[in-house]
Amino acid sequence: MRFDLTILAPHIGFLAEGALLTVQACILSLIGSVILGMLVAIARTSAAGWVRRLAFVYVDLFRNIPFIVQLFFFYYGLPEIGIYIDAFTTGVIALSIAGGAYASDVIRSGILAIDNGILEAAEVSGLSKRKTFTRIVLPIALRTSVRPLGSVLINMILTSSILSTITLNELTGSAKIVASDTFRPFEIYVVLLVVYAALTWLVSLGIGLLHRRLNRDMLEPVG
Amino acid sequence: MLKVENVKKSFGAATVLNGVNLTVRPGEVVSILGSSGSGKSTLIRCINGLEKLDAGLITVDEFDVSKPKELAEARKRSGTVFQLFNLYPHMTALKNITLAPVEVLKRPRDEAEAEGRALLASVGLGDRADAYPAQLSGGQRQRVGICRALAMKPRYLLLDEVTSALDPEMTAEVLTILAKLAAEGTTMVFVTHEVEFARQISNRVVFLEKGTLLVDLPTKDFFDPAGGLAQPRVAQFLSKMRKD
Repeated sequence: MRFDLTILAPHIGFLAEGALLTVQACILSLIGSVILGMLVAIARTSAAGWVRRLAFVYVDLFRNIPFIVQLFFFYYGLPEIGIYIDAFTTGVIALSIAGGAYASDVIRSGILAIDNGILEAAEVSGLSKRKTFTRIVLPIALRTSVRPLGSVLINMILTSSILSTITLNELTGSAKIVASDTFRPFEIYVVLLVVYAALTWLVSLGIGLLHRRLNRDMLEPVG
Repeated sequence: MLKVENVKKSFGAATVLNGVNLTVRPGEVVSILGSSGSGKSTLIRCINGLEKLDAGLITVDEFDVSKPKELAEARKRSGTVFQLFNLYPHMTALKNITLAPVEVLKRPRDEAEAEGRALLASVGLGDRADAYPAQLSGGQRQRVGICRALAMKPRYLLLDEVTSALDPEMTAEVLTILAKLAAEGTTMVFVTHEVEFARQISNRVVFLEKGTLLVDLPTKDFFDPAGGLAQPRVAQFLSKMRKD
């Protein structure tokens, strides 16, 4: 068999659309899971016991169920009880909920790692609990969470390939279609491997830069 | 007036404050001496409301720190400087200083910043306003910590072993600032191990021992052989501090 990438030329536009869909789904899901993760992290550090327990149940539940099962439940299960959501929205919601469970872990440990003395300084200065949280706790927790949140994002990009199982033609889905149209699975999946690797590599590069930018004061010499 | 009346505080089985009385009048500098574990820091933490009292009363200008509604007023009147600085690591020196004036006192941002810069200049850090805490030396950080407390224009400045984490050179930097504040008439409650410095700047020196105030005397009398030094525990403490 000859290895010939040129046979993919007519399908590049279609594949690019798929890639775009993957990127869109991942960006929306990242936003969704960071917001959800933040809320759940707040709940998990809350003073009210039942709020904490509820948050723990959510995190445990969604981390311990295969993503594809969650996805099938949302897409094929919910319509049975009259809830219809389109494939893209379902994918984003499912990825956000699953990613949120991991993101909440990351943000929670960022919150718990904050030196208590800093919070005491805020308290005696008269800062309200809410202001202390939004101006001090959250910014510090988020900036120390950039790298682990990056891992959550990369995982999300990889997991998003599963969205192809609910008729969403994102990168993997469109690659499958091209493969069956051209009968050239070898070439098409080689391309797919390279594109995913490039995508996640770019993301981790970006995360590294962002981390250094946000923590730049820590890296300069004392002077 | 800052009043501590018969304050008791225990942590589990350990009694840390066992009936402490202390009055600080505006304009006074009161140094609190005592060995580690004598309850000095706990006393400060009771005054600024970080610890709840088991018994007794603390009022800052008549505001009872045990009552949540009055605590906010009491805290506006006192400013705390911490041993380990406790600066906000994600904010510049200037932001550290202006956060509370803007958010709590609702001061206009530009006014708060102008005052913050003036404070930084007064402690010799005029050119470090935009530096982050991690970019500053320990002595510089503590000077920012002092500015942060002063920015709230407190009537009482509470200093909790503010030089204990600093080397001698940096300690000198910080003490120079405190001497200046004392000379300007700032009211201070000064928990310290710097005996000689306490002697120079305070009007009164009190000695805490195992949770009780053993001695509370004007500075001159405290260091007098017939005054504070007549207490064996004080004499022993001072001779030890001088040797170190």
